[in-house]
Amino acid sequence: MIMIEVQNLMVFFENALALNDFSMKIEEGEIVGVIGSNSAGKTTLMNTLSGLIIDMRTKEKRKGGERITIYGKIIYRGEDISEMSPSDRVKKGIVLSRERHPVFHESSVLENLKIAGYLRKQSEIREGIEYACRLFPALVALKGRKAGFLSGGEQQMLAIGMSLVVRPKLLLLDEPLLGLSPMMQKMLVEAICRLKDEFGTTVLVTEQFARPVLPIIDRGYVIENGMLTLAGTGRELMDNPEIKAAYFGI
Amino acid sequence: MEDTPEMLLGTIVYAVINSVILIMMSIGFNLTFGISGISNFAYGALYIFAAFTTYMLLQMVGLPYPVAVLISIVLTAAIGALMYRFILMRVRGQVLSEVIATFGIGLAILEFFRYLGFVGVEYALPVFIDDSFMIGDVFVDAQRLIIVAASIVIVGLLWLFVHFTSLGLAFRGIAQDERTALTFGMDSDWIATMSVSLGAALAAIAATIIIPLGTISVSQGYDVLINALAVSIIGGLGSTGGVIVASLVVGFAQRFTDTYIGSHWTMIVSLAAILIVLVIKPSGIYGKQKELEERI
Repeated sequence: MIMIEVQNLMVFFENALALNDFSMKIEEGEIVGVIGSNSAGKTTLMNTLSGLIIDMRTKEKRKGGERITIYGKIIYRGEDISEMSPSDRVKKGIVLSRERHPVFHESSVLENLKIAGYLRKQSEIREGIEYACRLFPALVALKGRKAGFLSGGEQQMLAIGMSLVVRPKLLLLDEPLLGLSPMMQKMLVEAICRLKDEFGTTVLVTEQFARPVLPIIDRGYVIENGMLTLAGTGRELMDNPEIKAAYFGI
Repeated sequence: MEDTPEMLLGTIVYAVINSVILIMMSIGFNLTFGISGISNFAYGALYIFAAFTTYMLLQMVGLPYPVAVLISIVLTAAIGALMYRFILMRVRGQVLSEVIATFGIGLAILEFFRYLGFVGVEYALPVFIDDSFMIGDVFVDAQRLIIVAASIVIVGLLWLFVHFTSLGLAFRGIAQDERTALTFGMDSDWIATMSVSLGAALAAIAATIIIPLGTISVSQGYDVLINALAVSIIGGLGSTGGVIVASLVVGFAQRFTDTYIGSHWTMIVSLAAILIVLVIKPSGIYGKQKELEERI
């Protein structure tokens, strides 16, 4: 069953085109990857799916700043959510974990997880924290530590853990592997697989480097300059000569 | 006049009380700024609004004191919320417009009371308990002790509120990283409304406990705003710890100048404190707003 469908999405920042006629779909229970280099439009896509761009557009408008224009449609479980606010989308189960390990630096790890549970009841937050600690056992020992003092990998584990407290149906991970050691990358990739297998979460993950994520994704999209250049299953993309040349250096 | 140990003790006791009053006068202003980045320049006006509202409910409507106080705190909080919804929201992000808008609202409220003729010594609120105590050889009235006790309770409750309630935690989240906070389902306009409203409620609470020491006058509205600004600038905008430390610094400096140098120097000392802080550490004692620029 199709969970979310993006139809002919175009996003402009003033006159600059960040996403150009981009379409994709994600089935329930899939892991889908979006691969692209810097400034390819990955983060814009994530912000548009999560609705953050709606909030950015309102704020820029009030400030008299940059004009953001969005065309196209996003259909989530049969409902058009193109103009829905980010908080309503979170309530529907679309949760974004932003790029560059977004955590609240002044708060402890435990408090970060509690803040993330804003929409949830106390009992659900407790369950969510357990759930996050089960996926990332390293977090347990760090509970009292201020998030600002964690390493990049620990912050990324926390960031994903925070999204889990919200109980996502569709989890959007924006460059979760950015700037991490190969070992940490491997660990996170395994965690993403477990998310799908154990909790049935649908995951959309973006990456600059195809190598660590291609083996685990069911399907992938390659974007360049905001445009879709290639799409296929993980296997197909791995065997594609262009991808090999561009992303594996073979 | 000769320096005596009694005089020193008296100065210290009154410096502590003065500091606590400064904390109460500025904590709401600082909290609103810390959460949503809005400088509420109507803060002093809301303080006076709460005082006059209590006065009217008490003297003209004839409600019991606690009921009048409660209603005026709720009304002031509501005005804060409405101010955000109908005026500030439209200019959000344009700092200068926010300042002009809130200052304009403040002026309108204060000068409206003056226009209505709310001027004179009869405009005062009764003290809670008419009694006095001796601390050592120093004479202190009950109201000042109540101010100290109430402030400790309020600061404690605020701490519990921001660390253990869902809305309080959302405040902490939004204050640290708004866009990330949005990804957890917080609504930035709702949180900002609540932050302005909570700030206004704190102004009303401050007025309720402090005003009984003297009378209500329109010009006090401006004094409260200046004090709140001074303390917040010295302590670092948005930092509650900074407010407490800065209030102690300014509070002690004011009382000691008053006793040992001369009361006409009091204002100069607070202004000098602002200048010194701005020269040495422009973001204030605990401020983070400009940390990066300072490091560079």
